[in-house]
Amino acid sequence: MVVVHSHPTVTGTILRVRGPLELKCQLGSTDVFQIQKVISGTFEALRSQVKSEACVLSVCDSPVIIWPNKGVRATPEEITPVNLCEDLNQWIQTDEQESFGKKSGKKKSKKSSAVSVINLHLMMEVTNSGSLPAPILSRTVQKSHFLATTLPIDCVVCTSSDSTIKDACEHLMEALTHQLCEMEKVTLQHMNGTTLLVPEAFHFLLPEPKGLMTVVYPAGVPDSQLVTQRKELHQQYELPVDKSYFRRANAYHFPGEPYRDGYLRNPHLALTHPILDDGKVYLVQGIYSYHHYMQDRMDDNGWGCAYRSLQTICSWFQQQGYVEHPVPTHKEIQQALVDVGDKQSSFVGSRQWIGSIEVQAVLNQLLSVTSKIMFVKYVAKQHLVSIHVYVDNLDSL
Amino acid sequence: MGRGYIVDDAVERYLSALCGQPTVPVTGLLIGQSTTQRDFVVMATRTPQREESTTATGNSVDKDWVTEHARQVSRMLPGGLSVLGVFIITENDGKETQATLRQLVFAVDNLISSEHLWKPADDDVTECVTLHVNPKTRKTTCRTFEVKDPKSTAKPADWKYQCGVCSSWVMVSCWLNVDMLVPLPNNRTSAEYMATCVKEGLKAWAHQIDNSVCLIDGKKLPEDTELTAGQKRNVKQTYTTQLLIMPEELRSADVIQSCGGSMSVRGTIHSRVYLHSNKPKSKLAEKLLKRDVVSTVATRVQMLMEELQASEEESKSRETQLTEQLPRRVFCPVKATGPLCVCDYQFSDEDLCEVTDRLKEMLDIDAAEEDLDTRQEMTADIAESRVKEEATVETVNALEPKRKGFTGKYLMFCCGIDISTHHSPHITMTATKM
Repeated sequence: MVVVHSHPTVTGTILRVRGPLELKCQLGSTDVFQIQKVISGTFEALRSQVKSEACVLSVCDSPVIIWPNKGVRATPEEITPVNLCEDLNQWIQTDEQESFGKKSGKKKSKKSSAVSVINLHLMMEVTNSGSLPAPILSRTVQKSHFLATTLPIDCVVCTSSDSTIKDACEHLMEALTHQLCEMEKVTLQHMNGTTLLVPEAFHFLLPEPKGLMTVVYPAGVPDSQLVTQRKELHQQYELPVDKSYFRRANAYHFPGEPYRDGYLRNPHLALTHPILDDGKVYLVQGIYSYHHYMQDRMDDNGWGCAYRSLQTICSWFQQQGYVEHPVPTHKEIQQALVDVGDKQSSFVGSRQWIGSIEVQAVLNQLLSVTSKIMFVKYVAKQHLVSIHVYVDNLDSL
Repeated sequence: MGRGYIVDDAVERYLSALCGQPTVPVTGLLIGQSTTQRDFVVMATRTPQREESTTATGNSVDKDWVTEHARQVSRMLPGGLSVLGVFIITENDGKETQATLRQLVFAVDNLISSEHLWKPADDDVTECVTLHVNPKTRKTTCRTFEVKDPKSTAKPADWKYQCGVCSSWVMVSCWLNVDMLVPLPNNRTSAEYMATCVKEGLKAWAHQIDNSVCLIDGKKLPEDTELTAGQKRNVKQTYTTQLLIMPEELRSADVIQSCGGSMSVRGTIHSRVYLHSNKPKSKLAEKLLKRDVVSTVATRVQMLMEELQASEEESKSRETQLTEQLPRRVFCPVKATGPLCVCDYQFSDEDLCEVTDRLKEMLDIDAAEEDLDTRQEMTADIAESRVKEEATVETVNALEPKRKGFTGKYLMFCCGIDISTHHSPHITMTATKM
C-alpha cells in the first residue's frame, strides 16, 4: 500500500472557458525587435477583441449564450446577470434529457459535494449593427513571413455558491485577458528566428487555500527544460520541492473529461470496498491508468499479468510527475531485462512470464525507482512498506 | 408525381408580352425558390440582346450567352432567390426545342454551381425547370430535370399561376463583419494568382461561417421551428439574425512560413434572405443566410479580381501596396408592392445610373435611381462622416480615390479605416503615383 499526500478536491462550481483564437499576421521585417512589435500588436488586438461586445460565451450542451461585455446580456431571456452561476446547470442538457430546455423542477439534479464544471465556448459575434463601411481589400507584396496559428485559450474560474453570473463573467474576462498576456510573454520568450512555439495553458490544483491555478507553457519544450519556471512557481506558492506540482503530468483532470489516451483511471474507486472483520483497507493515493490483458492490440492473455501490473505501476509514477518515461510496452520491458543482463536477447518478442524480481529490475532500469521485496505469509502492520522515491538527476519538482 | 410550380401572375404577363415580340425564339431565365416543401417562381427575365449578333440567327440559341447571363443574374439575387430554370418562347414544338432546353438547363446549373463555395446539403433541391411556351397556341409545357444526373430524362411538372405569390414572404437579414487575412506565395504576384489565394482564404472563411451558431431574433432555435408559428398572416415579416463563430484549431508544425506578402479583406456587408411564407423553417433560414453571406463576399471579391486582371497591363496591379474598395451592395424592389428585392454591386467610381442600366439589361427591371436602396452598405467616406459625429477614436480623412476607371494619372491617396469594435483602430495607407 502506498501512502501519499491526499489528493485535494475542489468544491463549488468551476467555469471553464475554452476556444481557439486566431493569431495571424505578416512579419514584414527580419529584425527581431520589429517582429516582436508586430506580434505584440496582434496580441493587443486579440485582447481588444476579447474585451469587446463581440465576445460571446456559449455554455456547452445548452441554449445559453452570454455577452459578458454587453451588460452580461444572455439568451434565453430568463437568464439575468444576477442569477447564480450554479443555476446555469439547470439549462445544461445531459444524456437523460431529450428536449433542449430547462430541466423540469421534479428532476432535481444530484446534489453532491463533488465539484461541478460548467464548460463554455469562447466565440466571437461577427454580425453587427451595420454602421461600418463596406469591405476594403488590401494587398502588400513583400518577401517576408506569415504567422498563422490558433491560441488554445483555456481559462478557469472557481466560483462559490453565492456567485452571480455577473461576478463570474468579470472574473472570466480578467482571466482571459491575463492568459493572453501570459501567452504573449511565453511566445516572445521562446521565439527563435522563424520558429514560434504555441503557448498552452495547464491547470494545476494546489493545496488549500491556493486552489486551482493556471500556467502557460510553450508546446514542444519538455518539462526537463522548464525547471527554472517550476522553481519560481514553487517559491511563489511556497511549495515543497520534493514533490512535483507543475509538471504537465500533474495537470488537473476535470471531472467528466475523458483522458486522451483512452485508458481508465483508478477503476478501484468504482468498486465496493471489502468489509473486513480484523483488517483495514488501505487504498492507493494518486492516479494511475489501468492496464490489462489484450490492450494495445497485444494478445497476452494468460501470460501478461505481471507485465500489465508493471505498466500500471509505471503509470502511477508518470502521472504523479515523478518521471517522464511513458508507460513501457511489453517489448520495452523485455528489452530492459536483456539490457540489465537478466535475460537472453531471445527473450525479446517471446511470450514468457515475468515475476516480482523482474518487475523490480525493470522499475530500476527504466524509471530509476528502487524497491524492496518482502516474503511474508500474511501482511501485518509492521510489514507495511512505504516506498521512498529516488529520482536521479532532477529535483522532484 | 412531378414537381408543382406556383408562379406569380406577373410572370404570366411578362411571358405573354414576350410572345408578342418579333424576335423568335426568345430564351430567358426563371427565378424563384425551390424547397422540399414548395416551388415558387417569382420572376422571369429574357436573355439580353448580344451586341455582336445584329443579324437574326434564326432558330439557333446562343448557349454560352444564356449561361453567362444566368451567371450574372445569379450574382444579382439575394439569398432565397435563385435561377430555377430556363424558358423558351418558340413556335417550334419539335424535339429540338426540348433538346435545347435540356442543354441549357444543365449548362446553367453547371456554371452557377461551380461558383458556389459551400457544400451541397442533403435537403437541397437538385431539379431544375424548363418551360416551353408556344407564342401562337400559347401552349405551355413544363418539365423538370435532375441536373446532378447527366443521364436524367424530363419529368412532367405542374405550372400554376397565382396572384400575390410573394406578397407575404419573410425577410431574414444581418450586417456582418468580414475580417480575412491570407498570405501570398513567393514570386507569384499576378492578379490571376492573387485571385487563387483569395479563393483559398474565402473557402476557409466560408467554412467558419458554415459552422457558426445562428441566432434568429436573439435566440438559438431548434432546426424545425417554424419561423411564422403562432402568427396571423402578415404580422411579422422581418427577422434579425446573429452569427457567432469559433475558429478551427490550426495546429500545423510550421507556425511561421515564408511568404511573398499578404492580402486582407475587412469591412461590413449586408446579407439578406427571402423565404416563402408557407411555414418556413428556421433551418432553411439559417442555411440560406449563411450561403448569402458567403456568396456576397465571394462575388464582390471576384468582381474586383476581374477588374484588376483586366487592368493587368497597367502598372497598378503590380504595385507593392494596393488598397481597393470592394463594390457595395445596392437593393432594388422587384415590384412596387411586395417585399422582394434584387441587388447589384456598385463600384466606388460608378454612378447609380449604371446600376439601373444593369438592372434593366440583366433582369429587365425598369427602376429609377430613387427606387434604389443604397442605405444598407456604406462606402468608407460616408461611414467616416457618420463616425465623426459618434466616435471617440481619432480618425483620418478618407479621400475618395480619384481615378477614372483604372487608368488615371492622378496621385492616388487611399486610406482604409477599420474602426470596428473587433480591433483596435487599424489604418492602411498607401500613396502611389499612377
